[in-house]
Amino acid sequence: MNDVILFAHPIFGMLGVLASVWVFVEALNASEANRSRIRIAAFIVTGCLIAAWALGGYWRTAFYSPEKVIILKGPWPWAHNFVMETKERLFFIPLILALYLPIAAAANLARNGGARVVVMVAAAFIALNGLAIEGAGAVISYAVKVAFVHAGDAGVE
Amino acid sequence: MMSVAPASDAAATATDDLKGPAAGFGLAAAIAILFNALLAWEPLSGYMASLAGDFWRTPGVAPVVAFFVLGYLFTYHKFRINGFRLAVLLAAASIVAGGGLALWFALV
Repeated sequence: MNDVILFAHPIFGMLGVLASVWVFVEALNASEANRSRIRIAAFIVTGCLIAAWALGGYWRTAFYSPEKVIILKGPWPWAHNFVMETKERLFFIPLILALYLPIAAAANLARNGGARVVVMVAAAFIALNGLAIEGAGAVISYAVKVAFVHAGDAGVE
Repeated sequence: MMSVAPASDAAATATDDLKGPAAGFGLAAAIAILFNALLAWEPLSGYMASLAGDFWRTPGVAPVVAFFVLGYLFTYHKFRINGFRLAVLLAAASIVAGGGLALWFALV
């Protein structure tokens, strides 16, 4: 079950990134025809990022501490000191933008150029931050693996 | 052939201004994003952590609470803003907060 939580966290994050790209493209071509589709996509972004937040937060508080010790004792301590420390705070930028997205998308984007640009900027920053955070997560999980490999090598020697 | 817009939309004039929750919560989002970056500062994060007994729990909820509280307040006070200006504000807040966080943890 713990592994399901661990994998569900980045999966929801990536689904949120994909949905934010969907919102960006729909807003770029905003018209009366795709008005409801923009709102639905915006709510999907919000739902995905709330799920990623809840699952990641639970994992961080319940399971990350032993992994942190392993990373800090391994050859890549910067994976926690820099990457994880930055990642866990950077996440709140796309989360807050995702919470705001359905509120901004409630406006008529076909008639309100300002609201349209706001929605596009929010969606773009959700996608860009999301991709950076996904990459950071990969580095952190690889740092645990490197630490175990390093410990195994030291044991053999 | 022109599409037929609903009566409420047809009556509305094209504008770049945002009002109501879109404006209030937009400004709140920019402030909450910057507030979240400030939480990386040790004395503030230490104080926040002491409230819940865990480093992540309070800083993990505080920016979201700030977003909703400020958003409600700005909306209640009928805040209005040009949409393009708000877009620049959101982009600037995201870049400053994201770059600032990365720089902070690279140097600390």
